[in-house]
Amino acid sequence: MASSQHVLLSPAELAYLHDSLSLTPPIRPDGRSPAQFRPLVAETGILPGTNGSARICFADGTEAIVGVKAEVERTAQRAGDDTVYLEGGEGDEEDVEDGEAREGEDKRKGDSAWVEMTVEIPGLRDDDSGTAFLAAMLSEALLADGEFAKRLWINRRFHWKLYLDIILISPPLSYPLPLLSLTTHLALLSTRLPRLKSEGDEDPFFDDDWAAAPYLFPRTPTTTTTIATTARPPITLLVMAVGNNIIFDPSKEELAVADVALAVSVTGSTAAPHADDAEPEPGRSLRLLSIRTIDPPSRLTPPGVANAANSAYGAAGTQKMLEAATAEVEAVEGVWKAPRGGAKRVVLGALVQKVLERGGVVDEVLDALEGVDLG
Amino acid sequence: MPITILPPKPSRPLNTHLDNGPSSRPSSSSSNDSSASGGADLDGDLPMTTQKPRHLTTTRSSLDTSIVTPGETITDDPQWMRGHGTYLPPASSAITSSVAGTVTRTNKLLSVRPLRARYTPEVGDLVVGRIVEVQAKRWRVDVGSTQLAALPLSAINLPGGILRKRTETDELQIRSFFAEGDLLVAEVQQLFGDGGAVLHTRSLKYGKLRNGVFVAVSGMGGGGGVVRSRRQVWTMDAANGAGQIDVVLGVNGYVWISKHVETAVEAEGAKAAGITNMEESVSATMYSSQNDRIETETMREIARLRGVVTALVENGLRVDEDMVVRGYHEAVEMAMVSAEGSDDIYLGGERGQQLAAALTGV
Repeated sequence: MASSQHVLLSPAELAYLHDSLSLTPPIRPDGRSPAQFRPLVAETGILPGTNGSARICFADGTEAIVGVKAEVERTAQRAGDDTVYLEGGEGDEEDVEDGEAREGEDKRKGDSAWVEMTVEIPGLRDDDSGTAFLAAMLSEALLADGEFAKRLWINRRFHWKLYLDIILISPPLSYPLPLLSLTTHLALLSTRLPRLKSEGDEDPFFDDDWAAAPYLFPRTPTTTTTIATTARPPITLLVMAVGNNIIFDPSKEELAVADVALAVSVTGSTAAPHADDAEPEPGRSLRLLSIRTIDPPSRLTPPGVANAANSAYGAAGTQKMLEAATAEVEAVEGVWKAPRGGAKRVVLGALVQKVLERGGVVDEVLDALEGVDLG
Repeated sequence: MPITILPPKPSRPLNTHLDNGPSSRPSSSSSNDSSASGGADLDGDLPMTTQKPRHLTTTRSSLDTSIVTPGETITDDPQWMRGHGTYLPPASSAITSSVAGTVTRTNKLLSVRPLRARYTPEVGDLVVGRIVEVQAKRWRVDVGSTQLAALPLSAINLPGGILRKRTETDELQIRSFFAEGDLLVAEVQQLFGDGGAVLHTRSLKYGKLRNGVFVAVSGMGGGGGVVRSRRQVWTMDAANGAGQIDVVLGVNGYVWISKHVETAVEAEGAKAAGITNMEESVSATMYSSQNDRIETETMREIARLRGVVTALVENGLRVDEDMVVRGYHEAVEMAMVSAEGSDDIYLGGERGQQLAAALTGV
């Protein structure tokens, strides 16, 4: 649970926003449809000294850049793991001890310590709880399934250490999570690591031709005969609900009246169709990686005062002061009342359902991100 | 179409309505659009052209770099006088810029108009502000200036329009008039020596805002934004049976768009507006924070108007009554021909550019 930053809005504004977002279909203050994102400008390869970089800019002026740098690091050897130099036959013993036969399987191992992520938000300390939470959420999405760290495996003695520097350039005009996540996604898509020339567990030796460097996330499926999948880095989307309406990519004002806000991390992979599978399903298979609730600032807002209880209302003027206890009364139309209590289970379910919908919003976002030219 | 991702555009050439470059800058070339006032732009407001959006003004020579940065010498010719945004360094007579912006020349006066600036209050300005702090006898109001403006308790109308001295009772219930976060429209009554403003709401036109949405656009400089004009507040007829909508353009760049609510004064006619019978005419709903019932159509048109204002700013056009009203009608027509019909109110991205092009093309 983390709270997004507080925006100061008057009770009348909050009531208006909440009313217009509760309509069916909702009327968003900027006229977008519920699932529509703010238009954004994206480019990759902007930082020449990095392995991959991206910049995304929203029309409202919020802008983020992400740089990915990689360096070779010696993998720490654990005690009992000293069979590194021995060949296959000896290693089997250990596998049996582990209780799983890894022969012929993916021998690559990953460690979440191989990825280091820093988030920088101007005006906030880097140990600020909001920043730390953002970094945790983004790295959690990346490392949750352990598949990403495996990509950094070189051999049993060495691995890539990846440094992701996420910098919000503009002041945080809206909750920056979706922006940072999309930028990170794009930077990872454009990340290339030098091509390995050495074999086995030798000291790694790389091809110095940058043009030959493969992408960390290959564009095309690597194998064409069997089920080939093109995995993609995860994206974390901010989704909120007002009443029964589900709204993607909320702006600051919209988030201020949210009943519930979720950060949902998903990853998508396109499975190439089986040869015998005549009708491939459209879209990607989406996998849910993590869900975090964001504490919407609406809960901290003061309630509006209904005319009937307003001492400055009407000519009476000098009515006696209200007692604090009566300030929170039942809902009156047109008066703001902060949401109380938890989110409805139905709504939460619908939110996740909507995100994971095949061929839905996430699919189109991933498509659009893939369409960005990896310069 | 949930998302549109565009490739980056080459950075927009900045507004240069002057042709004079640095150091050679205050030469003989006359500014090409200081038209009406006979070459002298007296009020200091940006003469923004409506003929073309800025990024279409292409003909700029390489010499024509009229952006100056802080500390850059503009000229050392003693014939020029220094204006806003410039200073004379000690033991020198070279006029130096103190802000980043474009050089403007008014006869023999050189000034630099900043690319981005906060609002500088002037007496008589109509501003929209937000209460950020409540003190014992006054409110502190955010008006987008460098400092918070002050609104004294004595500068508001009491409910019912009673004219009397403010007592301790009023001070105790100061939050029942305005509390933190409340939006209000006010006028700058007085300026402090340091540029801070004192506001007042002692008119029926001013007071707390409700029934609508707020949008903050950048203030002066840089191109778009609200400019001082004859009318900052107006009521317009909305399309699609949405009734009437009020628009308040604060000079400070804060804009309020709301449903028009007919007050008792308007219902009676104009006779009631004097100070003598203020008791009757001050509306009872003056300090209400309860919204009236607003129809869906009205909400939709309010959102459309907000989109128009945002699109104008994003495309570097000025925001005033004429542009907003024209932009709104254009937007309604654009929605008519669009695929989703007249309910389509989205004006971001390419739609906004279309709108700007349509407004400036005529």
